[in-house]
Amino acid sequence: MIESAILIPLVTIPFVVSLIALALPSNARNTEAWIAGITALGLFILTAMQYPAVDDGGAIRHNIEWVPQLGLNMTFRMDGFAWLFTMLITGIGFLVVIYARYYMSPEDPVPRFYAFLLAFMGSMLGVVNSGNLIQLVVFWELTSVFSFLLIGYWYHNAAARDGARMALTITALGGLCLLAGILLIGQVVGSYDLDTVLASGSMIRGHKLYVPILVLVLIGAFTKSAQFPFHVWLPNAMSAPTPVSAYLHSATMVKAGVFLMTRLWPVLAGTPEWFTIVGLAGMATLLLGAFFAIFQQDIKGLLAYSTISHLGLITLLLSLGSPLGLVAAIFHMANHATFKASLFMAAGIIDHEAGTRDMRKLGGLFSLMPVTATLAMVASAAMAGVPLLNGFLSKEMFFAEAIEHHADSILDTAAPYVAVLASAFAVTYSIRFIHGVFFGKIPADMPKHPHEPPFFMRLPAMLLVLICLVVGILPGQTIGGYLNSAAMAVLGPEMPEYSLSIWHGFNVPLLMSVLALVAGILLYGILKTYLATSEEGPPYFRELKGQRIFERVMVSVSWRWARLLESWLGTRRLQPQLRLLAFIALVAAVLAATRRGVPHPTLSLGNMDLLFTGLWAIGIICAIGAAYQAKYHRLYALILMGGAGLVTCISFIWLSAPDLALTQLVVEVVTTVLILLGLRWLPKRIEQNYDGVSLETRLRRGRDMLLAVGCGAGTAFLAYVVMVRQPPQTIADFFVENAYELGGGRNIVNVILVDFRGFDTFGEITVLGIVALTVFSLLRRFRPAPDNIDSPEQQLLQSRHTARSDESEEAETASIADEYLYMPSVIMQWLFPVIIVFAFYLFLRGHDAPGGGFVAGIAMAAAFILQYMAAGTRWVEERLRVLPVRWMGMGLLVAAATGLGAWVFGYPFLTSHAQYIELTLIGKVPAATALIFDFGIFSLVMGATVLMLIAIAHQSIRKLRAAKLPTAQENA
Amino acid sequence: MSDPTALPLWAAILISAFLLIGSGLTLLGAIGLLKFGSFYRRLHAPTLGTTFGAGGILIASIIFSLFSQTRPFLHELLISVFVTVTTPVTLMLLSRAALFRDRTEKNEDVPPFRG
Repeated sequence: MIESAILIPLVTIPFVVSLIALALPSNARNTEAWIAGITALGLFILTAMQYPAVDDGGAIRHNIEWVPQLGLNMTFRMDGFAWLFTMLITGIGFLVVIYARYYMSPEDPVPRFYAFLLAFMGSMLGVVNSGNLIQLVVFWELTSVFSFLLIGYWYHNAAARDGARMALTITALGGLCLLAGILLIGQVVGSYDLDTVLASGSMIRGHKLYVPILVLVLIGAFTKSAQFPFHVWLPNAMSAPTPVSAYLHSATMVKAGVFLMTRLWPVLAGTPEWFTIVGLAGMATLLLGAFFAIFQQDIKGLLAYSTISHLGLITLLLSLGSPLGLVAAIFHMANHATFKASLFMAAGIIDHEAGTRDMRKLGGLFSLMPVTATLAMVASAAMAGVPLLNGFLSKEMFFAEAIEHHADSILDTAAPYVAVLASAFAVTYSIRFIHGVFFGKIPADMPKHPHEPPFFMRLPAMLLVLICLVVGILPGQTIGGYLNSAAMAVLGPEMPEYSLSIWHGFNVPLLMSVLALVAGILLYGILKTYLATSEEGPPYFRELKGQRIFERVMVSVSWRWARLLESWLGTRRLQPQLRLLAFIALVAAVLAATRRGVPHPTLSLGNMDLLFTGLWAIGIICAIGAAYQAKYHRLYALILMGGAGLVTCISFIWLSAPDLALTQLVVEVVTTVLILLGLRWLPKRIEQNYDGVSLETRLRRGRDMLLAVGCGAGTAFLAYVVMVRQPPQTIADFFVENAYELGGGRNIVNVILVDFRGFDTFGEITVLGIVALTVFSLLRRFRPAPDNIDSPEQQLLQSRHTARSDESEEAETASIADEYLYMPSVIMQWLFPVIIVFAFYLFLRGHDAPGGGFVAGIAMAAAFILQYMAAGTRWVEERLRVLPVRWMGMGLLVAAATGLGAWVFGYPFLTSHAQYIELTLIGKVPAATALIFDFGIFSLVMGATVLMLIAIAHQSIRKLRAAKLPTAQENA
Repeated sequence: MSDPTALPLWAAILISAFLLIGSGLTLLGAIGLLKFGSFYRRLHAPTLGTTFGAGGILIASIIFSLFSQTRPFLHELLISVFVTVTTPVTLMLLSRAALFRDRTEKNEDVPPFRG
């Protein structure tokens, strides 16, 4: 279906626009608001147009196969329920964008704000429109990440940082539990597809894994929806900019939890376990949230606790397991989103205009800003559940459900009383908000003199309040149909009969409403004087700081326990780590060999080539010598290593692999030079007298020796076994036969590297780039051992000599290099262009003959190394700008772009195209697209090598600080 | 590469002779490097290999390529140019470094610093 593809842009566009928003300059306040607003409004209209498809229980599905073998598909699915949420997310998102334009100060870096907001919107849309549960969890975690970024938007503020971190820790942890729960569901059902899962409710409920699944999924939902006892993050998230609060805590973030519970309601609900856990959490949250809200002095704190309480109400409704309860829950989700968003906006306006959100410092604002005051009053009346407003309707449904009998438990019996009590509290805090802020005397210490905000700042709240009113007065005509299709999407055929009218006659719910209203007003009358001066937080409970407990737990887990584990299991010394690694590898190999058995190759000396054997004898001697000398005579070791490398190189030529030989030679040269340059920075080791070595040390050395010999012999044996075994049908023949036809090159090695195995090569050059950057950043603040701090004797001598010749008449011979090494350095400088030509030659012939981007890059780097050696770091860098990081970046981009280029022509990533171009004078030149890819390799290899060179070279000209050596205690 | 047995006998003898001369001189240089007494003397020995030794082998290679006619002898010319340009650099670096070191250590055998 083509129409179903509409769901893809619906979810992806916010992310794309988010990237665009991020790229705009930081003062582009209006542009940002425009593009974000147009995006949100466009998506809103787009969603509205989809309604006919989701009406009456229909659903739009769009499936993109990703790894169908594993049941992993990108599935977008929108039914009536998701549609309702999408409307809320995009609609309120649009209003929040308008509001934020006027709320955010011109000094704030708005691109970041709008980018995060849009990305958050996209994540939310992803959550509600996912048809695959894994995909849902991914978007779920994305909402956690972006809410973290949004809450911590003012990151210079410690409260914002802490709140953001807390929100992320709790919600992301919940997300992980949710993922585990979803994986279990996948195990039980055998599919992650939402439709399949929804159809197998009885199977899951009957399974022995039901309780773990339920608990894990509920932890996910409870953390997100701030249910007791995970609610602590929500009040702390109030340090976010108010538009963020208005968005996150009304329509989106916190609604994701109840959304999920509703989504999986047909699967998980209806059991005693569900009723107990969800009901208990919902009831506790409902009551505690409402109670705490009364005692908040910060307007946003009051709204935050009220949000918690309303979420508890929704959860309680969902716990009942009755279809009517579900309808009421969905209805209340929508209602709460509208009135709470407008209330947060009003709170932001008050904060913006009066300069404080503390209700003790506010009062009498009605006379100064009557429009805002009216809006806030209507919205809080909706929150309190006053008739003719939308909050009243869903609260009425809640009361009706609370008195129904659902299950024989104390929870069910308590439900009506809890409902009335919590509603009374809701009335109390609503009146407190209105009365405390808008009426009474204007306090003298109000920081600013408030007046009405700009019209467009009020407009979003105004529209929302209008919706509250319209829905409250004409529920059937306005929201009725949409609510019906949303509930039908969840319930299917079980759809109950319900009536949305305002007047149901004199019945028990109405009585309860009246009771709550009267009790709330009375309670406010009693508490009024206390609240006017009291501290933040409810009495007694205010000592019990959720944040404090959270911080304690965090410190224990992430610091104390981690340290404890580290001291048990960790060591900072490299030797034990390496020893352990080698030992485990050896044991594993021996175990594997004894279990499965290894072939016993026969060693035949008959067809031995004497010359080749001699060559290898030299190589082996060099290698052993290098290992033997490595501790005290590093220069010898390095020279011997070079010898071993040369033998390898000659072996490649011997065995007709010129390409490998060439590469090996160049790599050998460059690494030797680089290590040579680094030798000076290694800590000095003085050869000790071995006479008085204790028995313990001898034993340790003997053990290490045994381990080393065992590993070495094992590796040699394995290598031998592999070399003499009968080769199975390998892929080599394929490469030999097809290199020219498919890859367009005669050099098979190069064709394999840049074409057949191009993706591997791409990964490898990426790794090389990372290595170079790591070397560079490690050496940037490198602290050598204290005995290496002083310049070596040779360098001191040179500078003394230079200083002396400066005093004499020949002052222009600035350095010893000029005086002693004039001729060689001139020749070395002249060789620069020659080597560049050589590298270019290697590069161009690479596709057909030995050569290629890699070896050309290293040859080019050798040219730079020679320059540094000939004339010194300062001289070179005064004359030559190398910019290795740009070369590396260009290399990666070129390689990736070549690979992506294949997509344009409809081929898989990194497909290459080969052809020849006729050039005058030069003749036929191979011009496979692989050549461009090869250029990427060249550029990256050269950049990486030169970067490492520069990192080492700069050590000699920077000011050094000695490393703090570990004390004997730390070493133990 | 063409079959070496197809060469005329006198050319084969000529090529072999140059090869032997070149490798012999190189061997001589290597022995000298081992046997000579001081650093400065030792420096001279391997030059035998890099100049006449390499030259002999290159001439042999040129004659071979002339007769087998597989390719022009440009390669050998380039090799000789590069060897001539680069080998002195190594030896100069070594000898100058040794001289500087000897001078700072005030060894008797070398002339002292100027000025």
